[in-house]
Amino acid sequence: MSPLALIFLIVGIPALAGLIYIFVRGSSGLRRFIITRIALTLPMVFILASLVFFVMHILPGDPITSALGPKGDPATIARIQDQLGLNDPLVVQYGRFLGDVVTLNFGDSLTGGHRPVLDEMSERFPATLELVIPAALLALILGIVGGALAASRRKRTTDYGLRIYSVVIYSIPIFWLGLMLQLIFGLKLGWFPISGRIDAVVSTGLHRVTNILLIDSILAWNWTAFRSVVWHLVLPTATLGLILSGVFVRLTRINVIETLQMDYIEAARARGIRERVVVYSHALRNALIPVVTLIGLQVAILLAGAVLTETVFSWPGMGQYLVQRISARDYTAVQSVITMFALMVAVISLAMDIVYSLVDPRVRY
Amino acid sequence: MSAQEPEVEEKQQWEEELARVGLVRRLLRARRWYGADWWFVAISGVMVLGFLIVAFLPGLFARYAPDQQVGPRFLAPGAHPAVPILVAASGSGLVNLEDLAVGPDAEVSRPKVAVVRGLPTAGALRERAQVIDDQLQVTGDLRLRPSIERYDTLDEALQAVADGDVVAAVVGSDLFDADAAKFPTLAAGNDITGEQAAAGGFLLGTNQIGQDLFSRLVWGTRVALLIGFASAGVALVAGVPLGLIAGYAGGKLDRLLTLLMDSLYAFPGLILAIAITAVLGPSILNVIVAIAVLYVPTYYRIVRGQTLSVKEDVYVEAAQSIGATSGSILRRYIYPNVIPSISIIFSVNIADAILTGAGLSFLGLGLPPNTADWGIDVARGQEFIQSAWWLVTFPGLAIMMVVLAFTMMGEGLTEILNPKLRDR
Repeated sequence: MSPLALIFLIVGIPALAGLIYIFVRGSSGLRRFIITRIALTLPMVFILASLVFFVMHILPGDPITSALGPKGDPATIARIQDQLGLNDPLVVQYGRFLGDVVTLNFGDSLTGGHRPVLDEMSERFPATLELVIPAALLALILGIVGGALAASRRKRTTDYGLRIYSVVIYSIPIFWLGLMLQLIFGLKLGWFPISGRIDAVVSTGLHRVTNILLIDSILAWNWTAFRSVVWHLVLPTATLGLILSGVFVRLTRINVIETLQMDYIEAARARGIRERVVVYSHALRNALIPVVTLIGLQVAILLAGAVLTETVFSWPGMGQYLVQRISARDYTAVQSVITMFALMVAVISLAMDIVYSLVDPRVRY
Repeated sequence: MSAQEPEVEEKQQWEEELARVGLVRRLLRARRWYGADWWFVAISGVMVLGFLIVAFLPGLFARYAPDQQVGPRFLAPGAHPAVPILVAASGSGLVNLEDLAVGPDAEVSRPKVAVVRGLPTAGALRERAQVIDDQLQVTGDLRLRPSIERYDTLDEALQAVADGDVVAAVVGSDLFDADAAKFPTLAAGNDITGEQAAAGGFLLGTNQIGQDLFSRLVWGTRVALLIGFASAGVALVAGVPLGLIAGYAGGKLDRLLTLLMDSLYAFPGLILAIAITAVLGPSILNVIVAIAVLYVPTYYRIVRGQTLSVKEDVYVEAAQSIGATSGSILRRYIYPNVIPSISIIFSVNIADAILTGAGLSFLGLGLPPNTADWGIDVARGQEFIQSAWWLVTFPGLAIMMVVLAFTMMGEGLTEILNPKLRDR
């Protein structure tokens, strides 16, 4: 079974079950919200896919000719174009493309082993997941702690320091942060490895089930492998997580400050509850609600950051695959990976909105 | 009128107070005038101005052209490039190549000079000696015609000098520095090339093809700012009218545009830019187009939102009732209201665009490979990160400083132009 199908089993089925549970048990308002939201996702997927089609097919520039170079044999070019149906009318191509997106039929890779692109992606997708999820968690933790700290020490040195932190971290090119971490912690101090997901020696002994190596090594009860995987994860996760954390610090801070001005906080203070409890327990909990939506919006930044982080750390994920395929001028693969990213964005933002509607009952259509 | 009186009084009092305080206090109080941290604005303003000056006049700051090979490869920041120097026994008084010149009977006693076989120093020595000899012939009767003795290794050559077999040796300064401890009786003389140009070293070192890194960074400012300003500008020109029209007209057009823009906004920007540049091919214009597309929605969303709220205002209604056309209402009553937000987004977008552009060129997409660009420099330096840390460090730092300048400016503008955020 392909890793992608397994991940779907692990993540998708519980999610689906949860959705159905919420749907059946929830209020009618919630039901309506979920239906509308799902219905709105379809045009979004449609538009995103059309965008990809537009970029890949309608913009000037012929990918096949550029793949074979100016000296390419015209007969070969014609044959490949014919094979991919690039000579059909645009409308036909467009229809076929949309159909392929729906059925997840991405075709075969143009170069290399001519393997189905879906197989290639399903091998790499878990690697991206393994990088992106811990990074998002790190960013969230740093952001919430930092934001709450800044809000509770408003207009003091801590607050200004954190504000400068969030502006500076936003301005750092992510690939450069990765390289600097490599330079300091990988090469100078020698603490962490600077490329790959796992030591080659350990890797051969590890049976891959999901290709999420953290899970695989636990399943195999292989602690050497687990340690190696965690050690390899540190620098890429730190890179991606630190870059994202700036935005979360800002947003948490603003929301906590706004919440702290509310009457119920005043009431809590008047009852003599300690300030720390007021900030971290009373205010933070309500202030975090908008942060949940922000995660949805940050997915785009997260995925774009993942492309660069993977390139810096030779992390064999979707982003690295995309970059490799572009330099190999593999047109089918590039189009498929970008479509896949678009689908991911749509699905994650849908999931985030549903979570948000559960956390904040005021959000309904 | 009566309601305004206390305000006027307060203002006068405030001005009197201001006149009493010193300049520093006044600047500190500026926080209150603008509702912004003046130092945020001041620092970013100075930085932006500085980068603009560098971008417009790179020749003033850079000593070399960006693609000119000016020194040895991989020279560390501040290190002096290796030059052939004269080495002689200390106390012999031989410091410059000219000191080896001898009288007219030189035919019998040409000074022997040792070089190491296979190194370019012999050629440099011969050329330079010829030049000096020609000059000497014009002015007097001294001649400089050294007899070049070749040795297999540096140690042999230096030993020959120490033993007195030859008068001096010409070797690379870096080689001699590393070996000097073994020959305490020898002393390093001067550079025999007589050129002082490279002697100052390179502020930020040189890269893998011997280009001056600092000069490349200076020239790269131009590319970064061009991408930033041009793509943010194109996005502004496209996004603002769309937002105005959609917000004002409403209806189906609005819904369609909003759906389109929201989808575009949700798409990971860098990935879309990657796709566009991969299809269009490498050129700076394509990069600008690809990045501009990403930022159209940011203008659209803000402008549309503000148009929606402004169009309900009484003065717009008044304009409508006296029969003003939609075009003139948009232009004269609504557009001025969105200018402050536009300027904030513009500044932040420049920062974003520079970051995205750097990401693209780091991935090897977008810009032609020989461009003096910071992202390209980082990407090329990555290969040599183990041995030459400066190749990735400084270009990345440059990107960060420029982006920081524009981000801070956006931050400062937000506080000046959007007083509602003041207390946040």
